[in-house]
Amino acid sequence: MKYVLSFNLNGLPVDTLVKATDTLLDVLREKLNVVSPKRGCDNGDCGACTVLVNGEPVRACLTIGLTVAGKNVQTVEGLQQDGKLHPLQRAFHEHYAAQCGFCTPGMLIAAKALLDKNPKPTREQIVEGISGNLCRCGTYVEVVEAIQAVAAGKYKE
Amino acid sequence: MAEYVGQPVLRYDGIGHVTARTRYVDDIQLPGMLYIKVLTSPVHKGIIRHLDTSAAERMPGVAGVITAKDVPGKNAYGLIPDQPVFTPEHIRYKGERIAAVAAVDEDTAMEALEKIKLDIEEQEPVFDPFKAMEPGAPLVRPEGNVWEFNSGKTRKIRFGDVEKGFAEADVIVEGTYTTATNDHAPMEPQVSVAYIDETDRLAIYTVSQDLYFHLGMLTAIFNLPMNKIRYIGGTVGGGFGSKNDIHCDHVAGLMALKIRKPVKYRHTRREETAYTTKRGPWTFYFKDGVKKDGRIIARYVKTVHDTGGYAGMGPYVVDKNSILVAGPYAIPNVWVDGICVFTNKPPCSSMRGFGIINGTAADQLQTARVAEAIGKDPWEVHFINAWREGDLGATQFKVEAAGLIEAMKRAAELAGIELPAHLKAMSSRGR
Amino acid sequence: MKDVLYFAPTELTEALKLLAQYGEKATILAGGTDLVPRINYYELKPEVLVYIGNLGLDYIEQSDGKLVIGAATPTAKIAASPLVAEKAAALAEAARLSASPAIRTAGTIGGNLANASPAADLATPLIALGATVVLVSAKGEREVAVEEFFKGPGETVLQPGELIKEVRVPIKKGKSVFLKLGRRKAMTLSVVNVAVYVEMEKGQRCVDARVALGAMAPVPLRCKKAEGVLQGCVLPMSALEGAEFLDKARIEKAAELAIAESSPIDDQRATAWYRRKAGKVLVARALAAAAGVAI
Ligand SMILES: Cc1cc2nc3c(=O)[nH]c(=O)nc-3n(C[C@H](O)[C@H](O)[C@H](O)COP(=O)(O)OP(=O)(O)OC[C@H]3O[C@@H](n4cnc5c(N)ncnc54)[C@H](O)[C@@H]3O)c2cc1C
Ligand code: FES
Ligand code: FES
Repeated sequence: MKYVLSFNLNGLPVDTLVKATDTLLDVLREKLNVVSPKRGCDNGDCGACTVLVNGEPVRACLTIGLTVAGKNVQTVEGLQQDGKLHPLQRAFHEHYAAQCGFCTPGMLIAAKALLDKNPKPTREQIVEGISGNLCRCGTYVEVVEAIQAVAAGKYKE
Repeated sequence: MAEYVGQPVLRYDGIGHVTARTRYVDDIQLPGMLYIKVLTSPVHKGIIRHLDTSAAERMPGVAGVITAKDVPGKNAYGLIPDQPVFTPEHIRYKGERIAAVAAVDEDTAMEALEKIKLDIEEQEPVFDPFKAMEPGAPLVRPEGNVWEFNSGKTRKIRFGDVEKGFAEADVIVEGTYTTATNDHAPMEPQVSVAYIDETDRLAIYTVSQDLYFHLGMLTAIFNLPMNKIRYIGGTVGGGFGSKNDIHCDHVAGLMALKIRKPVKYRHTRREETAYTTKRGPWTFYFKDGVKKDGRIIARYVKTVHDTGGYAGMGPYVVDKNSILVAGPYAIPNVWVDGICVFTNKPPCSSMRGFGIINGTAADQLQTARVAEAIGKDPWEVHFINAWREGDLGATQFKVEAAGLIEAMKRAAELAGIELPAHLKAMSSRGR
Repeated sequence: MKDVLYFAPTELTEALKLLAQYGEKATILAGGTDLVPRINYYELKPEVLVYIGNLGLDYIEQSDGKLVIGAATPTAKIAASPLVAEKAAALAEAARLSASPAIRTAGTIGGNLANASPAADLATPLIALGATVVLVSAKGEREVAVEEFFKGPGETVLQPGELIKEVRVPIKKGKSVFLKLGRRKAMTLSVVNVAVYVEMEKGQRCVDARVALGAMAPVPLRCKKAEGVLQGCVLPMSALEGAEFLDKARIEKAAELAIAESSPIDDQRATAWYRRKAGKVLVARALAAAAGVAI
């Protein structure tokens, strides 16, 4: 039994056939070939699969795909506007906030979710904002600095 | 060149990472690709009495099943090639591979695994390396539970005369230290994608940290010359030593060879944690002969490394550890015995530092204990004993470009510790 | 693989009809943060998923002297609600300390309770605050005290066909405190957690005390013996008459009794021995903070 799932992905409508138990991560990665959310654990622990659903950060691996019907899903593929890097992307790059890069898409989304709600977070709030995202390479310090730089307005156009 | 020296250089792959255009192996999807799941041993030790995969093979959605019988070449791999891709008979750890299924998706492959009939005669396992060394212990390996180095059952470092050193010492300081098993836990779990390419070569997208090294092992397993294998490396989502060992490429490659269709084999996080190679646990026993002035004049170290059911890089890890475990000190009399033991646990292998940091941790604890025993500050003991330019190490090598004292001074400075003047006056250039 | 059915009803009556129709085959899906890992790892093979996120059960209101929270309200919303912070401080704190941002936006209060983990963070404050859950089915509605809702790890009084509609927290005068000890600061399940509620008459005599412990027994536990030794006690400097003094010694006695009532286990997060030691300190700290006693 397959269901038709329709939702908005990075601003464009998509339709796809899914099973009831397919997660949003399965839908994005395996059906739609949108691979920025990474599969690090399928267990909610690592945060590499973090995406925005109606602007809120969620674990794609814990979200049953069909529950996003009609909603807006955003991934790192949608961060660039008019071919220009998002300030967070530039800041991450220039602060060396990605080493192997596997946690980076999830970190970027967690950072975006934080700044969208709270454009001037304290260091504590930044740390709390990325507390659900593991980085085995240990880029935490650089990630926090990159987010601080964006919050301080250093990456405005 | 000049524009790079002394300048921070942006990463060449940084934009790829922040835009998520970087492609990891699990991001690769090939048309018609099938997914592999592996049947692993539910018991720690035993003998396979009966294995029947026919019901799984007949299941709709299943494209193929492979077992030890489907290995065209050598069913063994590793730095010391002692581990089978699929075990034909003996089970040495829980999680050992027995069969693999390729199906239209992982759900179907999992269901097919349940249809495989497996009859194992369970045997008594041994988990504790010290118990494994006792006479009459369950045999993890037919040849015995202790690894044979070219020097026998121990890796030996002999330098000076430790007994003489102990006799001349003012104080004898003993200590036993243990370190635990670690998993590398890279964010990217093990994964492999294999297919037969347009020129009939077996192509494998790999997360290997050692392409050429693994390619050699794969040629033996597949019984193919190197030019028939396209082994494609790329970006790895962290390794930390776990990608020094093959975990998926052999299975994916064998399946692609058999069914001639693209396949992907990836570990779940739980499989990754439970079954991949580990940093093995260690026990270190130290006995030091120490002079009241702080000089360590004799050091005896016995180490026991648990390498699990297969050698992995265990013996090599013991080599490295044995060479360095006595520490960066000018100790005139050193005796090291390194032992590598098999137990019924997942094989242990490389992880960041190949056993060196485990030894360093033990050495640092022991040296602090030495300082305590003679009523001195640990810094003092480290400074007094530290290698100086031209000193002879326990493996008979001459220390060149010594810098430990300078490094310790800088570390103290960074930690905000004020060292006494006589230590500050010391230098690696002489005693 | 057997086909799994999926329903996303938009009316409560429709949901209850589906739950009645499929009975034990139906699995209620809220935020999925407890359920989906089990599906991903084939520990749970659901037959019918009934998603309750579109039923309008996402609300936090005040009515009839109670704080009423819809079962599908995400933990993040509870953590951010000024109303919850004011009327049920311990619950707000538990929500704030639970999991991490992207789990809190999805995970719900109803799911946290129905999942019935002994370590569920929202359960202890709700017990300490004397909250109830409203359970509905096609047959009708019943209200159960949260402390009576749990039967064992993963087991509750919920019957097939029944769902939690909302949680009701009585608004009381006293002070509630929640303390959690995890393996790290964020994104960590409780090694032990404690919620207490203390009401002091004129700020000096304890007229109501409730103590609840999490991750210390097969279910989130109310510790009545500990509560008993606090009732009627007065602060040492008080002019009020009281049975005993509410001082450091009394608080430690209560903490000891609470631990004596518990039955913690060794698991991957901590040993029973450690849980008892740390739990006792946490109970004492929480009671001291709630009663205004220096310890
Ligand atoms: C990484 C991670 C960290 C976590 N950290 C914490 C933590 O710190 N503290 C903590 O307490 N929990 C934690 N959790 C667990 C989980 O997030 C919470 O328990 C959450 O509140 C569960 O809610 P849900 O809506 O996601 O439940 P679901 O997963 O949707 O459901 C859980 C169970 O409840 C049932 N159910 C759901 N809603 C209802 C209802 N209204 N009526 C009847 N049955 C229902 C479901 O059928 C299922 O059996 C963590 C989980 C993860 C993955
Ligand atoms: S893959 Fe979703 S949290 Fe790890
Ligand atoms: S950069 Fe490698 S895990 Fe974060």
